[in-house]
Amino acid sequence: MIKFIIAALLLGGVAGYLNANWASAVSSIWVSDYLLNASLMLLLFVMGVTFAMDKDSISKIRRTGLKILVVPLAIALGTILSGVVSALILGMNVIATTAVSAGYGWYTLTGPLVGQIFGAKWGALGFAANFLRELLTILTVSLMVKVDKYAPIASGGATAMDTTLPIIVRYCGSDALITAFSSGLILSLIAPFTIVAIASLG
Amino acid sequence: MNFALLVVPLIAGMLLGYFLREKRKTNLGKVTFGIILVLIFSLGFGIGSNSELLKSLPEVGLSAVVIASLAIVFSVVLVKVVRRTAGLV
Repeated sequence: MIKFIIAALLLGGVAGYLNANWASAVSSIWVSDYLLNASLMLLLFVMGVTFAMDKDSISKIRRTGLKILVVPLAIALGTILSGVVSALILGMNVIATTAVSAGYGWYTLTGPLVGQIFGAKWGALGFAANFLRELLTILTVSLMVKVDKYAPIASGGATAMDTTLPIIVRYCGSDALITAFSSGLILSLIAPFTIVAIASLG
Repeated sequence: MNFALLVVPLIAGMLLGYFLREKRKTNLGKVTFGIILVLIFSLGFGIGSNSELLKSLPEVGLSAVVIASLAIVFSVVLVKVVRRTAGLV
């Protein structure tokens, strides 16, 4: 299954590159924005149907209750710690590096925001590092799920509510839908605040 | 990305699923996977057509790999630890 996912990603990448640099057959926004959003919305609809038809998944959520917040908070804490460790390993500015990490994978937010605060070089790093988090999540999901049932959710960070959600549900099961979505949503909501808060420490 | 764009179809799907509950089970696995491939394709398309991102990759690539990998490892470890202690299913 992962073979098809990688093939689709590569095919999309090559098609996007050729279209942007030579052909210009379609405005890239049609694919990278409209088609992406349409397929995402359709997926969420289908996953919602699958989830609600499964009686077990709802009772599982009921039993979990507020503990659902534990997952995104653990991810946020782990990610911020990892930013400090990365800065020490790479010998880079601790505040700026941690701010880059605190995008939790949401690269379209982190790139511009970090770039605005720390300058273009950090913006590029914020974009690339968070984009890689999403890409690595997609590529390693089948291994990740063997480590822990919720490992792909942790790995996906903020992207667990949209781009990596369908793959997470595919591997972790339908009952992981709400945990993944709410974790991604909470991380997306706190990402801009944590980035700005970390930046203000410098 | 507008959050409403994601939440509305999810809730609509759940409502439909809830009412379809007593009906016979339908397997949506193949449909879901087909749409996943379209989604991943358009994700790749966006990356391939983003020349700024492609240009920045060689320069910041190595640091980005370190930052992304550690973020993943630390998040996974913390979630695993916290789940054990909090007794989450």
